[in-house]
Amino acid sequence: MDLSFLNVLLPMLFQGLKVTLYIAVVGILLGFLLGAVTGFVLQTNCRILKAIAGVYIWIIRATPLIVQALYVYYVVPKLIGVDLSSNTAGIIVITVNSGAFIAEIVRGALEGIDPGQREAGLSLGLTPTQTMFHIIIPPAFRSMLPALFNQFIISVKDTALLSVIVVNEITKQIQNYAAISFRTIEAYTTGAVFYLVLISILIILQKLVEHKIRG
Amino acid sequence: MMLKIRNLQKNFDDLEVLKDINIDVDEGEVVCIIGPSGSGKSTLLRCINQLEIPTAGDIEYKGKSVTGGEIKLRDFREEVGMVFQRFNLFPMKTVLGNVTLAPVLTKHKNKKEAEEKAMELLRKVGLENKASAMPAMLSGGQQQRVAIARALAMEPQALLFDEPTSALDPELVGEVLNVMKELAKEGMTMVVVTHEMAFARDVSDKVIFMDDGYVVEEGTPHEVLENPKEERTKAFLSRFLNS
Repeated sequence: MDLSFLNVLLPMLFQGLKVTLYIAVVGILLGFLLGAVTGFVLQTNCRILKAIAGVYIWIIRATPLIVQALYVYYVVPKLIGVDLSSNTAGIIVITVNSGAFIAEIVRGALEGIDPGQREAGLSLGLTPTQTMFHIIIPPAFRSMLPALFNQFIISVKDTALLSVIVVNEITKQIQNYAAISFRTIEAYTTGAVFYLVLISILIILQKLVEHKIRG
Repeated sequence: MMLKIRNLQKNFDDLEVLKDINIDVDEGEVVCIIGPSGSGKSTLLRCINQLEIPTAGDIEYKGKSVTGGEIKLRDFREEVGMVFQRFNLFPMKTVLGNVTLAPVLTKHKNKKEAEEKAMELLRKVGLENKASAMPAMLSGGQQQRVAIARALAMEPQALLFDEPTSALDPELVGEVLNVMKELAKEGMTMVVVTHEMAFARDVSDKVIFMDDGYVVEEGTPHEVLENPKEERTKAFLSRFLNS
């Protein structure tokens, strides 16, 4: 079998990997900030903020990611009059999309903390804010790490859809190679295996993290 | 008078848990609250330090209304500590970390002072050798003793105990009660919700019997436990002693 096509394809895939990881990592970090704020809001008693958070999560969950990507890339710039690069639009999409799911993760983790922890903090004379940051958040963060890592893996795969807005991530590179070489079978088979290896490595990392947490 | 509770009521939706509670606690007094499950004992304790907000009535601490905001809630909670049935230790912090957290965060002590004080308190509850242990490594009785040390670290004027031995295996009850007896002997003001009749009899200055959201009877341990006047108290005690 002639594998010489890899000389061209593999460098393209690694080029795409850089973009994929860049967008996924920046997106998930910003998504965590957005999700943490939204998750907190869901815990409060402020109805207006809760309603806003609820609508945000609803819109994200009820529309396909690919539609969200097309909307951010083609519609939002027209509405605000600012051009977005593909990568910027990609980061926004991953941020907003993962944020909605992370909000639920954060809410679940906060709700999973025994109410007695909060009561113990308050009864010692701590403020509600001190109680939140010193007593509730540390164990909640630990318990949400596996789910956050899982969301990261999902977001890495989701970046494939950003090929529709011309982000030069892995899938776009596969398409590019197929288009210029006409080697469809080789391009998509190698691309699939490339994803398989990448995600497998992330799954192994996730297991290590989980193992470390369970101690 | 350290604590004065007047006409305290607490409803959860339509359920009236506390109907009209009047209690006085003097400085240095040990008050035990007994009564059947669902009588409102724990709710009363939780209302006192405002973990539950009373529906009506007044709670005064040293002449200042807690419910009326004459003393800041945080200041009140610093002076009146609480020990919970389920210990509620902070699981990611060591024993020492549990005891030093509040004094440091509330800026009563710097870290070094807080640690010295914590070690002294851990010695007092017999756990100085567990200072670096995590709570999950301790028995229930040890965890509850740490919780007592944690509450004492704020140097409170009074302590509220919410069934402190009810979650413990029977053989671990004694070690916690002994620490509490020691505190009582030192003159700590204590309000203790408990099912430990022997502790109530031997240690308390006053026993309060609650049933159905009311204080049914109160008096010295001798009066309430050995010569109860009210039928409901008699029925509870005979059920309790025969069970």
